[in-house]
Formats: sequence, structure tokens, C-alpha cells
Amino acid sequence: MFDLKKYRKKSPWILHYNAGSCNGCDIEILACLAPKYDLERFGVINTGNPKQSDIFLVTGPVTYRSRERLVELYTQMPEPKVVIAVGSCSCTGGVFRDMVNVEDGVDRYIPVDVYVAGCATSPELIIDGVVKALEILEQKTKEMEKPLKLFREATLQNSIVNRRHTALKVGEKDEED
Amino acid sequence: MIETLLILFAPLIGGLMYGFERKLRARMQSRQGPPLLQPFYDMWKLIDKQAFIVNPYHTILGVMHFITIWIVVAFIILGQNLLYVIFLHLLSTIFIILAGFSVKSIYSHIGSNRELQAMIAYEPILIMVAVGFFMMNGSFAISTIRENDTSLASLFLLFLAFLMVIQIKLKKSPFDATEAHQEIVGGVEVEFSGVFFEFIYMAKWLEYVFVYLLLMLFAGNNIFLGIGLFFGVFLLVNLVDNATARIKMKHLLRIVLVIGLILGMWNLIGLSYV
Repeated sequence: MFDLKKYRKKSPWILHYNAGSCNGCDIEILACLAPKYDLERFGVINTGNPKQSDIFLVTGPVTYRSRERLVELYTQMPEPKVVIAVGSCSCTGGVFRDMVNVEDGVDRYIPVDVYVAGCATSPELIIDGVVKALEILEQKTKEMEKPLKLFREATLQNSIVNRRHTALKVGEKDEED
Repeated sequence: MIETLLILFAPLIGGLMYGFERKLRARMQSRQGPPLLQPFYDMWKLIDKQAFIVNPYHTILGVMHFITIWIVVAFIILGQNLLYVIFLHLLSTIFIILAGFSVKSIYSHIGSNRELQAMIAYEPILIMVAVGFFMMNGSFAISTIRENDTSLASLFLLFLAFLMVIQIKLKKSPFDATEAHQEIVGGVEVEFSGVFFEFIYMAKWLEYVFVYLLLMLFAGNNIFLGIGLFFGVFLLVNLVDNATARIKMKHLLRIVLVIGLILGMWNLIGLSYV
């Protein structure tokens, strides 16, 4: 009778994490929240608290030291959630790619929904990314939020071990049994 | 009948006030600001989100905080004893402080500590306001206070002290070190999530209703003065919030206790000689 899902789009709360960025993208994110671009007109609040946020804005190429915090923050966010990689560094590693202390982008550790390019990226692009992320947030369903468990046996296809069909949602019936 | 409706819709009124305040604050900073119903959009979103329970006592105490403060607002609307209202409000604050201490998060502990210190600062002023009303009306009953003439002129110094209490209770600059969103990420509310954070969020709206209902007692039976006081103080509080920076906790204690106690005692001693 009353679709709660459409209200997800109307109040996205942002968690911003700097995974070793040069602060170039961070000041652009803050510029988005400041009077000129005013992201708050979409209901966006910069909470700074993972347990109450919906959108995870990550900047920086994920340095060796920051990766544990990155995964920790991601797991502390309640579902449904969306991850936005802001800036070239967090998309691919940028100019820091293949350096010893850098992990080449956010998507090595957590699933990313929206990539925002640019070094440093512009506030307009970030707003576009956030609006795109809101569409994805609305599509996420309760089914997607259920955790996956790998408890089917792996099959051999063309002498390669295939694990694609081993994943089952929790509570889902196994059809082969 | 109208009292029952007011009590039932008190959280909604508080939510509208909060939404209007966010809009007003945005306009003061020459921004467009979120829509007026933004707090309710937040509410529906929070209900739909996954909720983490850190431990059962933490969540139960959070819900108790919301229920107690709703009862406090109900007692003010029904015109019960003012002293009883203030102490029941103290109980609701104690619940949220205990909730903050019941988890391991350091931010939560700092928030609870600061909430306790803020309570030491504003509680004497609230009690002195109640005593001032007693000296003017001869009764602690809110219904009697509402029937009598306005006591704003006689209690003006206490009114000034009460303005500082509003800043602390609504967590506005310069006295918002208890929440301090940039430094301790909201203090006591840091570990709440999903629908349980919703109760804390709604308790925040009811805090607005509580504080402004107490403020309107200064107007007595003069409704227009009450509405004028409400809008004037609402504008003043948001203006000060936008114009000032956050001060440290010890400075908050010192400023509120020294200035508030001096203003309050001066007013009460003056009243006893008149």
C-alpha cells in the first residue's frame, strides 16, 4: 500500500572516507555541500557515521594502510548502500598506479556502483554521480540485501573449476536436491 | 479532545519544526535547502534500512528515551506539575546517557560524558525557572501558570538564562559540544542504526516541542505574546547558531553556570524582596 522504497532516494546520507587521497577530491566534495552547489537540497547530509549512512564516497587510491579501514567502514554500513569512487585515483589508481604502497583503486576491496572520473573531479560530476547512485539505490531490493553462502559443490567445466553456481541466498531452496 | 490530538501529533509537529528550521538555516546561508518534509522522508528511509543491534539494553534505552520525552510533552500539554515535568525530562536524558555508556564505542562514551556535564549546567537553571514561576503564580501547576497573566517582565533575567538552555537542549552553536558532529560524530547517538536511530531522531523533534512549550509558559494567558515569543526566539536561536562557532565543554560549563546562575539568583532574590 505504501512504498517505502521511493523514500530512499529522497534522503541519502553520505559517508566520506579519504583512502590516501591528496585532498583535491575532498575539497571538491565539500564544495558540493557548500552554498554554491548545495547538495542538501536533495536531502543529503554528510553524517560521518557509517551506521547511519547510505552512500559511501571514497576518494584516493587506497593506500596499504587504509585498506582495512575501508573494508571495516563498508561492512559497518547497513543495507541498502551504494559505493561511489570519486576521482581517477579511486577508480583506477590514477598517477599512483602500480606503486608499491598503493592498491590501485577501491574495487579491489569493495564493490563499486558508480565511478566518477577526473583529477581532481569537479563538483558537477560528483552531483551527477550522486544522482546516478540514487537510481541504483532505489533498484536495490531486499533480495539483494540477503547474504550469499557458498555451499554447493564446485563443478568442472572444460577442465576449469566453476564456482559460478555455488552461491545460494540464505533461506533459498536448493533445486538440485 | 484537542489536547489528545496535540499529544498524538506532537512528534509530527516537532518534525515540521525541524524541517522548517533546516529550511530557514539554509536560507540564512543563501542556500536553497531541503524540502519542508525532509525529516519525514528521512524517517521512512530509516524504517526501511537494516538495523544493527549492538546490545539489547542499548536499543531498549534508546526507545525508552523517546517514550519518556513523549510523556513529558504530554504532561506539559495536559497542564501538570512543572517541577514533575522537569524531573521526568531529566529521567529521559538519563536513559540516553545510560544507552551511551552501554556500548564500547569511545565516541559514545565521550558523548555521554558531555551530556552529563551539560545536564549539570542547565538543570539548575530549569529548576530556578520553575521556582520563579512558583513565586509569581503561587503554584507549580502548568494549568495555573497558563491561566494567570504573563510574567515575562518579572522573570526577564530568568528568561535570558533560559535562552542559553534552549541552545544546549537543541544542540545549537555555540553550545553544541554535546553533539559535535565533526569531532565525536553525534556523541551518544553514534551506535544507533536503522529503525532504532529513528527513535532517537524523533526524540530530537520532541525536544523541540518540549523546549518551545516551556518557553511559551513565559507568556502566560497571552496567546499572541506566546506566538511572538516562539517565532522571535526561533529566529534568534538559528541566527546565533549560524553566526557562532562551537565552544569547548569546560567553557560551556563555565559560561552557562556562571552567567545563568547569577542571572537566575539575581531574579529570584529580587522577586523575594518585592
